[in-house]
Formats: sequence, structure tokens, C-alpha cells
Amino acid sequence: MQFEDFKPGPRAQMEWGFGGRRRWRDGALLMALFLGGIGAGQFVISTWLIESVTSALIGLLIVGVGKTVAHLIYLGQPARFYRLFLKPSTSWISRGLVFMVVFVAFGAAYLAPEIGFEWVPWTMGSSLSDALWFVALLGAGLVMIYDGFVLASCKSITSWNTALMPPLFFTYALAGGVAMTYLTMTATGGEILDENTMLSLDAVLLTTMFALIVIYVASMAASTATAKESVRRLTSTRLAIAFVGLAIVAGLMVPLALTYLHEASTEGAVASALLAASAVLELAGDLSVRHSILRAGLHAPALPEGV
Amino acid sequence: MVRLGMVIDLKRCASCHTCTAACKAEHHTPPGVFWAKVIRVESGKYPTVIRQGLPLLCMNCAEPECEKVCPTGATEKRPDGIVTVDSSKCVGCRYCSVACPYGARCFAEDWKDYFTGDRRPSSAFAAHSRKMWLEESDRGVVSKCNFCADRIAEGQNPACVDACPCEARVFGDLEDPESEVSQLIKKRRGRQLHPEYDTDASVYYLPAR
Repeated sequence: MQFEDFKPGPRAQMEWGFGGRRRWRDGALLMALFLGGIGAGQFVISTWLIESVTSALIGLLIVGVGKTVAHLIYLGQPARFYRLFLKPSTSWISRGLVFMVVFVAFGAAYLAPEIGFEWVPWTMGSSLSDALWFVALLGAGLVMIYDGFVLASCKSITSWNTALMPPLFFTYALAGGVAMTYLTMTATGGEILDENTMLSLDAVLLTTMFALIVIYVASMAASTATAKESVRRLTSTRLAIAFVGLAIVAGLMVPLALTYLHEASTEGAVASALLAASAVLELAGDLSVRHSILRAGLHAPALPEGV
Repeated sequence: MVRLGMVIDLKRCASCHTCTAACKAEHHTPPGVFWAKVIRVESGKYPTVIRQGLPLLCMNCAEPECEKVCPTGATEKRPDGIVTVDSSKCVGCRYCSVACPYGARCFAEDWKDYFTGDRRPSSAFAAHSRKMWLEESDRGVVSKCNFCADRIAEGQNPACVDACPCEARVFGDLEDPESEVSQLIKKRRGRQLHPEYDTDASVYYLPAR
């Protein structure tokens, strides 16, 4: 029996994220959302800004393998996973999985000539390849944003049922993609041709994410009693360690400071170390903000005032 | 067209949990699975505060959120208004549980014995209970109240309605203006929970005062 099921006041959702009904196993869903975001983001950044096949392939694998496995671990009946595709007309989970398949299929087809499948009838840079890339980018963008719609579609969880969810998840996914791309290039010794553009993009994304988080908290604090309780949990309970400490301070403020410090640093090795640290913190912040939002999801009380 | 629904009189409910027990006896739900439950709530403002029991079950909504979000088509609405879960189609993603504003959906990873907490039944009755549960639902899927569809098919009331010692529950056709449920809703201003979500719940509550 879960105490939450019998609570008269706002009731925490116990289905998704670490600390759910199945404790750790329910965290697989959080990992699926996280991996989907950063993997798709990495593919977009790697193919658009720096043209790195290795990094793009890693992004594709994170989604195609990592996200898929995490979803399967989470499901109560993983053998029936194929049924998840059956209702894209009304269910955001179905739509998300369709986006994921489109992204992985077209992304793989786009990269195919560069990863050992020279027999395919297109080459990198051809019109067909560009068309494949465009569809893959579209799929990646939708994979990055759909989990925001999944949460926003839950009417009774006020802290999720907001138009801020999709842009927030999209921005975090893109920033996670920048961080993953930087770490991949550093680890593989690859050269980032347009590092300044990538760093400027990262700084813009971090600032946007910070602004979105502030707007999110402010709008929830001025919303219903249930939303206010969600904000209280995010800012003054144990969850604040993840939300304020890890997501905002370590995941946003410190990386932003490190990005500017890097510009002031004259030594190449120091600058690279600062950027790598910033990327790791951004990823930790990304995971943390998703965890916090899932855990702070509260259903409105069963009996509204006045009945 | 018939639309089956229930009226619960909060003035009569004594929070005795007989409905919870009757539901468990009828459907052999394992520990942690409550298709019917009663929560204790306080309402009003000083000096007119009251503490009351609030019986909860699946509202079998006319516009069910759970049906919209279900990615597999396991959740369906019957012509008589009952919302059902086909356990052979459910994958256990629990989107429905998250989307349901009433907390009516239950997830059971596996059957467990009430006394030992084990997956192996500790008695002959527990073995029977396990068999019945697995016939009605399944492991790793979501389940919920279906107004005792099997009993309704036999012309009976749902188990919780018949078991309630305070006669706080009435079951019937919401579309028939002469039915007892329709009359009670009309005369005693029956209300649905969370009408703001536009779910058009089929369970109405008569105010406690």
C-alpha cells in the first residue's frame, strides 16, 4: 500500500521517475527521457554545426539503443512494446515513439555511406542525402520536444500542465546535445571546427534555460494550491538538493560562469578542462531538472474545496 | 442509450471501508491494489469544518483522460459508459495512471500474498485468489474498477453498492431521468469531482451537508 494513494491533499504521482512505486526501476523512464533528449540533441549539433559523423552516430545510438532499452526496462510488459505505436492520434507516447523511429531510421540512412555502407545509392552531400538529413533533423527535434507534451497533457498535475514544458525540455535537450558533442569530440581527439559558434550557442541555451526555469517557478508559485505545493517541494524539501543545488546552481550557473571564464583563459589545456567540466555539469543538471520536475508532479486533491 | 453511473451520499458514508473490503473480496485484488477506497478529508472553514469519508473508485468518465492517453488501445469505453482495461493489450506504461485525475488506476507488478508478501501463495485460498486475479488482470499491467461488469451482466449491482451497510451508494442509468440516480442528482444537487477537467465523470457525490 502506498500512503500517497490515501492522502486527502495533493497526491504525488508515483508512476514515473526514481522513487516511484518500483523505486529504482521506475527511474528507467527518467533515463529514457534524458537519453532521448541528449542523443537527439547531439545528432542535431554534430550534423549541423560540426559535421562529425562519429559524434552524430553516438547520438543516434544513445536514442536507438539507450532510450529503447530504458523504455523496455520500465515497461510492465516489455514483450508487448509494439503495441505502444498503435494510437498516435491521441497519445503522446505513441507519437513520441513514431518520432523516435523516424529519427533513428532516417538518421541511420543519412550516416550510412560514412559508416561502412558505401553500397547505398547516395553519398554525403547529395540531394537525397540532404533530404534524409532534413527528415532526421525533424525527427530529432520532435524527439527532443515530445516528452514535454507528454507531461503537459496531464491536466490534473498543475506543475506539468503548462505550455512551458515543451520549450523547457527542448532547450535542455539541445544544451545536452552541445555538452555531449563537446565531450565526444574531446574524448575522441576530434577537432571542433566552429568552436566559437558552439560555445556561443551553449551560452545562449544556458541563459534561455535559466530564464525558462525562473518563469516556470514564478508562474507555478502564482498558480493553484497544488502548484504552490510543487514549488515548495522543489525549493524547500530534500528535492531542493536536486533542483536548486544540482539543476540550477551546478547545472546552469556554474557552466555559464565556466563558459565566460574559458574565454578569459589563455592556456589551451585549462580552457579545454573548463569546458569539459562545464559539459559534465550541464548533463548532470539536465538529468536533475527532469528528475525534479517528475518528482514534484502532484495531482490536485480528490475533493476540491466547496463540495 | 444507457449510461451506467453511481451516486454516493457523503452524508451517509461512515468511512467503514466495507466497500474496499467487498471490492477486494469480489476481484481478489492483491496488496497495494485498491479499485475502491475511502480517504478521510476535511472540508469547510472554521467554524463549520467537517471531517468526512470520501469513497473513491474509477469514475468511468464519459470523456476519459485515460482512454485518450493510452498508447495501446487497452483502455476502451463501452457503449454503456463503462471504461475497461484489456489486460492482454496493456504494456504497463502507466500513462493512464498519471493522467487520471482521480487516482483510480492501480499498477501491480506481480501478485503477492497478503500475509507473507511472497509471490507464492501461502494457503489454498491464496492460491485461489491468485488464480482469480490473474484471470481478471495480469502481471505488470494497470487495472481499475469497472463497476463490477460481470455482476452487472448478471443483473446485479456492483459489489460495493450491495455491501455498503449505510446504503450510501446507488447504482443505475444516468440517462434515464426517472432512475433513482438521476432523481438523487437532481433533488440533492449531486456533483462530480473535478468537473474542470471536462471528464464528465459517471460517479456523483451528494453533499455531506
